[in-house]
Amino acid sequence: MAKKGATRRTVIGAAATAPAWLLAGTPPAHAQQRRRFDNVTLNIACWAAPYARFIGEYLPVFTEATGIKVNYDTPGFPIYNQRADLELSTRGSAYDVLNVTFIYSSRWIGAGWFTPLDEFINDRSKTPESWNFADLLPGSVSPMKDRAGKVYGIPWVADVLMSGAGRFDLLRAQGLGMPNTFDELERAMAAVNGKDSLPAYIIENHYGWTFIPFLQGFGGNVFRNPPEDLYPTLDSAEAVAAAEYVGKLLRSYGPPQALGYDVDQATTALRMGRVIYSNNNHAFLRLLGEQGSRAETTSNFGLMPAGPKGRFPGIASHGWGIPTGSRNKDAAWEFIKWAMSKELLDRMVAEKGYGSITRSSILNDPAYRRRTMLNGVDMTQLYIDTLAFAQQGHMKYRTVHVYPQANTQITKAIERVVSGEMNARESMRQAQQNTIADLRRSGVRL
Amino acid sequence: MSSRGWSAGRRRAFALGLAPALVVLAVVTIAPAGYLLLTSLTPLNLTMPGTAWDFSGPHYNYVDLWDDDRFHQSAWIQVKLSAATVTLQLLVGLGVALLLNHGNWLRRFARTIFLVPMVLPPIAVGILWRVMYTVDISPLHRFMAWIGLPVPPLTTDPSLALWAIVIADTWEWFPFTMLLVLAALQMIPDAPVEAAKIDGANDLQMFRYVLLPYIAPTLLVAALFRLIDSVKAFPLIYVLTNGGPGDATTVTNYYAFVQAFNFSLWGYSSAVATLMVVAIFALSWIIDRLSGTGDARVD
Repeated sequence: MAKKGATRRTVIGAAATAPAWLLAGTPPAHAQQRRRFDNVTLNIACWAAPYARFIGEYLPVFTEATGIKVNYDTPGFPIYNQRADLELSTRGSAYDVLNVTFIYSSRWIGAGWFTPLDEFINDRSKTPESWNFADLLPGSVSPMKDRAGKVYGIPWVADVLMSGAGRFDLLRAQGLGMPNTFDELERAMAAVNGKDSLPAYIIENHYGWTFIPFLQGFGGNVFRNPPEDLYPTLDSAEAVAAAEYVGKLLRSYGPPQALGYDVDQATTALRMGRVIYSNNNHAFLRLLGEQGSRAETTSNFGLMPAGPKGRFPGIASHGWGIPTGSRNKDAAWEFIKWAMSKELLDRMVAEKGYGSITRSSILNDPAYRRRTMLNGVDMTQLYIDTLAFAQQGHMKYRTVHVYPQANTQITKAIERVVSGEMNARESMRQAQQNTIADLRRSGVRL
Repeated sequence: MSSRGWSAGRRRAFALGLAPALVVLAVVTIAPAGYLLLTSLTPLNLTMPGTAWDFSGPHYNYVDLWDDDRFHQSAWIQVKLSAATVTLQLLVGLGVALLLNHGNWLRRFARTIFLVPMVLPPIAVGILWRVMYTVDISPLHRFMAWIGLPVPPLTTDPSLALWAIVIADTWEWFPFTMLLVLAALQMIPDAPVEAAKIDGANDLQMFRYVLLPYIAPTLLVAALFRLIDSVKAFPLIYVLTNGGPGDATTVTNYYAFVQAFNFSLWGYSSAVATLMVVAIFALSWIIDRLSGTGDARVD
């Protein structure tokens, strides 16, 4: 009798919760786990990316499916990194799931602050084969591994730098297309600056990210030969030329307060039609197609322009990881599994228009391609084409453990150039000196 | 009971009464300060756990600071910021207090309104001024442009960014001086004021020869308190300029913050903080000395 009753309850329970499982894309087998996690509350934080915002909106579905409650926080990028860096260093249990930030990945993973995820990924009782880890883009997973090949983060985004014109109509009116080279970019910005009283150009003021494609395009780099040789090369002739170039773009064709534009402001300016063109992240350029955008029908997109030495778009992945101090690792893995399940990502694509996907099965789905077209532009093809440049290995500079130091100095150097406080040569020389001092203080032998 | 025994008992009672406060003081102030000092003698880097108690080169951080131009520059920026904010807060606070000294209902209402900036959370003040300084959305910029006096972007201009901080900090803290001066003005007896009026003193003479001698000690105390507080300027810089453009607004505590929170160099950052603590102690000692002098003058 007892056995029969239990079976009936299971069937009724499964039927009652079936819609939730379908919505969450979580297999009914997890119903067994629901009771197991009923009293678990996870503390989760990520920086304020579009994906992180969408996850916040879907959290009730996760709680409904698993019984796990979530305290969820998405501060701005620099604030998140400072907070996570400090929390992780204590090896405390304040957070159960954190974003493994690209520029901190080497530092955080190398210091042993994150849990290897292989045991979760390869354990079929915790992760069904259908979840398909191999489906994640290898290029986005590699920064999440240590030297031994263990995986510490599940990448939720492969963010790439591209070109976006919110007012492409103004470029077209001048007989111009999307700029493909640095020369074309400068000529285009000169041609359209001031049209409709609009500034032509803006980039996010995190120049440790947005300046590097120009630096490498001119033939320079941040370090001599990362990750082996970390001697900074910020005062090279190529670095000075790149700083002069970017300085001119922002000074001559940027809005009055160009240095004050963080990624949100730069994206908003583009969406609201207050600036003509920007080199911005794919995930943020996608927002030009969101409701409320004034640039939906006037926008166009392209690859990051190439410099004299080639095309070096910024490519970075961020992933979900479990801090070593977490006391709820199994529940944390449930969250990561859910947040990166194909079903949820499919839903996010369909309902939110999310596009910086790391699952190749979604990227190669024709329906997805159609859904992510923006004003006639195949954004997914641009995304895939940009990701292909990762094979050049030009992003190695970014995952060395002392990149945050160089990142700070590069940002300050470009600020000095754009504000006119120093010329490019002086400013890059100062960045070089400061970076050397900071690296030595961090124990790097130069 | 002998008088010696009574005195000893009184001392014991005082010591017992003070003990809880001293314990709390030791736990919340002296212990962290001691830990700060110890950390400053190590190369503590959070990514290298072995550095936590490495005292093999206790002087290295301080030698490094001696040669660190950015640290020196941050101290100089701090001096400029402190001088400008304290001076402006005194002048504005004094001026407003003189205007609001005599009360009708409107002035009493104004006094209350003027106190608002001081009681706002610092981060709210930062956000408010961020809006004011963001050209695209700032009512201040729009108004100035409308009257034909356009203001350049303040926070991204290296020659103006520090002034942007000064203006916001003055707005936030002039009520402190205003409040102290108002209290001092209320304490001035009527007789000398009446006598000066009978002697035909004009407003300037009244201020210079009658009011100022009475409120000078209060102004001194306000100045010194604001001076100490100005060293703690952080939220406005964090929200408005992030220490930039370049290093134009990187004051010493912001420099220490970057070393610790961005680079994980906690030992080095602790050395910067320790020197700041020493500077604050020196200022406190000066305050103590000057306050004593001020009291004697009032008496």
